[in-house]
Amino acid sequence: MLLLCSFVLFSTSCDKEDPEIINEEEVITTLTYTLTPQDGGAPVVMSFRDLDGDGGNAPTITGGTLNANATYSGSLVLLNEQESPAEDITTEIREEAEEHQFFFISDDDSVTASYNTSDVDADGLPVGLIHNVTTTDAGSANLTVILRHEPSKTAENDPNAAGGETDIEVTFPITVQ
Amino acid sequence: MQNHATKLTFFLLTFFLSNAVFAQNCTLSLRGYVTDEDDDRPLEFVSVFMEENSRGAVSDSTGFFQIDDICAGDYHVAFSHIGCSPRRIFTEIDADTLLRVEMDHSAKILEGVTVTDKQSVTGTQNAQVIGAQKITDAADENLTNILTNISGVSALKNGSGIAKPVVHGLYGNRITILNNGIAQSGQQWGNDHSPEIDAQVAEKIRVVKGVSALEYPGSKLGSVIIVEPGEIEDEPHLHGRAGYIFASNGRTHAANVQVGQTTDFAAWKVTGTLKRGGDKRTADYFLNNTGLREANVALQMEKKFSERLHTDFYASTFNTELGVLRGSHIGNLTDLENAFEREEPFFTEEEFSYAVDAPKQRVGHHLLKLKTKYFVDAYQSFDFTAAAQLNDRKEFDVRRSGRSEIPALSLRQFTYFAEGKYRRVFQNKNTLTTGLQTNITDNTNNPETGILPLIPDYLAYETGAFILFDRITNRSRFSFGLRYDNVLQNAVTITTTTPREIVRFNEVYHNYSGAAGWTYNFSEAVKATANVGYATRNPAINELYSAGLHQGVSGIEEGNPNLDSEKSLKSTLALTANTADKFTFDLLLYLQNINDYIYLLPENEFRLTIRGAFPVFTYAQTDARIYGADFSANYQVMPALQAKATYSHIRGEDLTNQETLINIPADNWLLQLDYSFAQTLRMGKIAFENLTLGTEARFVSRKKGITPEQDFTAVPDAYELFGAKIAADVRIGKNKFRLTLRGDNLLDTAYRDYLNRLRYFADDTGRNVSVGLSYKF
Repeated sequence: MLLLCSFVLFSTSCDKEDPEIINEEEVITTLTYTLTPQDGGAPVVMSFRDLDGDGGNAPTITGGTLNANATYSGSLVLLNEQESPAEDITTEIREEAEEHQFFFISDDDSVTASYNTSDVDADGLPVGLIHNVTTTDAGSANLTVILRHEPSKTAENDPNAAGGETDIEVTFPITVQ
Repeated sequence: MQNHATKLTFFLLTFFLSNAVFAQNCTLSLRGYVTDEDDDRPLEFVSVFMEENSRGAVSDSTGFFQIDDICAGDYHVAFSHIGCSPRRIFTEIDADTLLRVEMDHSAKILEGVTVTDKQSVTGTQNAQVIGAQKITDAADENLTNILTNISGVSALKNGSGIAKPVVHGLYGNRITILNNGIAQSGQQWGNDHSPEIDAQVAEKIRVVKGVSALEYPGSKLGSVIIVEPGEIEDEPHLHGRAGYIFASNGRTHAANVQVGQTTDFAAWKVTGTLKRGGDKRTADYFLNNTGLREANVALQMEKKFSERLHTDFYASTFNTELGVLRGSHIGNLTDLENAFEREEPFFTEEEFSYAVDAPKQRVGHHLLKLKTKYFVDAYQSFDFTAAAQLNDRKEFDVRRSGRSEIPALSLRQFTYFAEGKYRRVFQNKNTLTTGLQTNITDNTNNPETGILPLIPDYLAYETGAFILFDRITNRSRFSFGLRYDNVLQNAVTITTTTPREIVRFNEVYHNYSGAAGWTYNFSEAVKATANVGYATRNPAINELYSAGLHQGVSGIEEGNPNLDSEKSLKSTLALTANTADKFTFDLLLYLQNINDYIYLLPENEFRLTIRGAFPVFTYAQTDARIYGADFSANYQVMPALQAKATYSHIRGEDLTNQETLINIPADNWLLQLDYSFAQTLRMGKIAFENLTLGTEARFVSRKKGITPEQDFTAVPDAYELFGAKIAADVRIGKNKFRLTLRGDNLLDTAYRDYLNRLRYFADDTGRNVSVGLSYKF
């Protein structure tokens, strides 16, 4: 059949059959970052959404405004919204906590993040899904949230020393007032 | 009467002289002439030895030898000559017999790399050959690494195990690799995809550094690598070789067995290879997860139905699993920068390991071929070939939730090929070759990956016709050729935006190519060859339609469906001198202009993904020029001492953007000094023959002209590597062995090579010592 096709060069019957459109289970489309003030008040919700994954349309990033001189509880939720209903990737990270770690880098002293000793893996090393964010005086900062797969987990909050492979690297613009 | 095969490497004709004396009375004679395969000159001092009766003779200045008073019977006759690959021929003697034997003389002169333009397969185009001995002595190496002994050939690598050949600055889609006459299919687009061919099956590997490859399917832009298994020797007894090599770096074990026989029904030969290696080591640390496993089998069969009708069948399976340096698997550009700043790559372990985990590649390549040759008469012949290939490639990445066992890329490519060829040799030695070829490629992504494919599913139909004319006059040889190809590509892509949709592309391309060449013999020793060739190459599927994150380029790669065909004009000028074997000299100058040269253009844009920002690369076209010189010279300092120098000089320019082309090799020198003992050395019952001591030095300069914008990191420094080897044929009683000892990078130099993608992450491999033993039976 194929051989026949080659001689009918302009025939449309030689078309390749339709491929299966793959359900990309592993993709993380959405990172929701909730910062809850530790002394009460409304939580601040920031997000990164890229529904079509790498390439395609550009992602949308929503930053947030924090109060000066305050401490927040940070919590991260990872979703694959290509699935319906959306799949919660956070549980995958939780299950493989020994192989994952979040890192937080701020480009301004007005916002700093630190690990919460309650959120550790089986080896007692930080995971970072739950953490603390502290603000000082008013200012603005870009807070980068990094998730590494298979880092060296003894490197504290230093992604350069930890190595591994980046699964997430998202920068949120934050205003402190 | 025994039919003797005409061979590429040796040529034997048996004539039965009139008045044959049937002899129990042992009065028969064996006479013959020995000539140099390359130039037909008689070879003096060839030692001829009949194994069954231990009778011998030495050829005279006309290449003639004679052994008298032989009894009728079956004999193995061994021919040996200093500087030649030894030959062993089987012959039935029931009458006075005359043999004509050609010996591959230059094979050893140039240390296994010979320069020849005698074969009609290459016409006037410049070709260099790696011979059987060199291939079997390097059984621990892959095809590409063996090829880098030829000037003008480099390796584009992703670690030491994954390497693809670069000839005159072109690789992948732009060169053709012929395995047993069939264009090797596979995922040629990937810089980290090795040709899936077992070099140990080959008797010769020929690199045609030509201007336009008209006779073969695939790219016509110039160079062709021809892997030839060689014909099966006309030998009624079971013969073969079994070899084993251990390489200290990577603690690699490589075993190879070849067995063959000519029976009344058909001639057959089976070659099998097993390889297993672990983590390679640089001068300072182990390269974690750089092991490999390989298991290959090839079956070759030849059947002569009559004097006029010959058929050969070939089936091979190549299976490999290759580890990729764990620390080279990165998520984004920050990871790449971190990795580059480190002395040692991430994940470096103290301990050696044979484990091959993700990231890794698992590739199977299977080939079936049937070829029939029909001789109409002494001057005309037809060839019909049909072949099918399956290339099954799976690449595994480090993934979450146990998905590392699921391939991240899984491609299955079937290729079907059919060819009809007609050759006519005219009485004035002119030759006409013409043929029709059709090739169908069916490429399918396996959805098991759970990842949108980078390369779409496609069907490609390629039909071509060519005509070649070769004319030999007293001092000259002329070649002319024309070719046309019609290419239909039917690709099915999936959008990168949601909702996902299927977008179909149907394109037809016309490729035109032509070549002309002239060789002029100034004297017996000096000749010059000029070639000029024009060819077009239609854009490949990856260049047109790839879409997505490509780890191999650490960026988002976007195809361009509007690309035009590349148009190439290449000229070569070669000068070859060979003065009485004392001094040989080969210089090849080349200049290639490629208009609409397709390349990956780094856009001034970073695309944001959840893994951070990635540079965007799109396929674009420019006008390119590649030019350079390949030089090799060999000087016989003393009868036993050979000095050889090889130099490759190459420049690639992007004429439109006034930039240097990337992935063009740096200039390099290879210097070799070999001392061969003419006499047999004996230690009791052990005899050492052809004992050779060799040293070599390789100098690779720093790649020039690459701007910081063109690369992620600085171009690596120049480096030099030193090696040595000892090889000998060992005879213990009637048993023949070959012993090799080879050292590479003996000073354990820490270096990085421009064409090795691993240079972003780690040093190249350090010292290696290989010990090999093979047994001929």
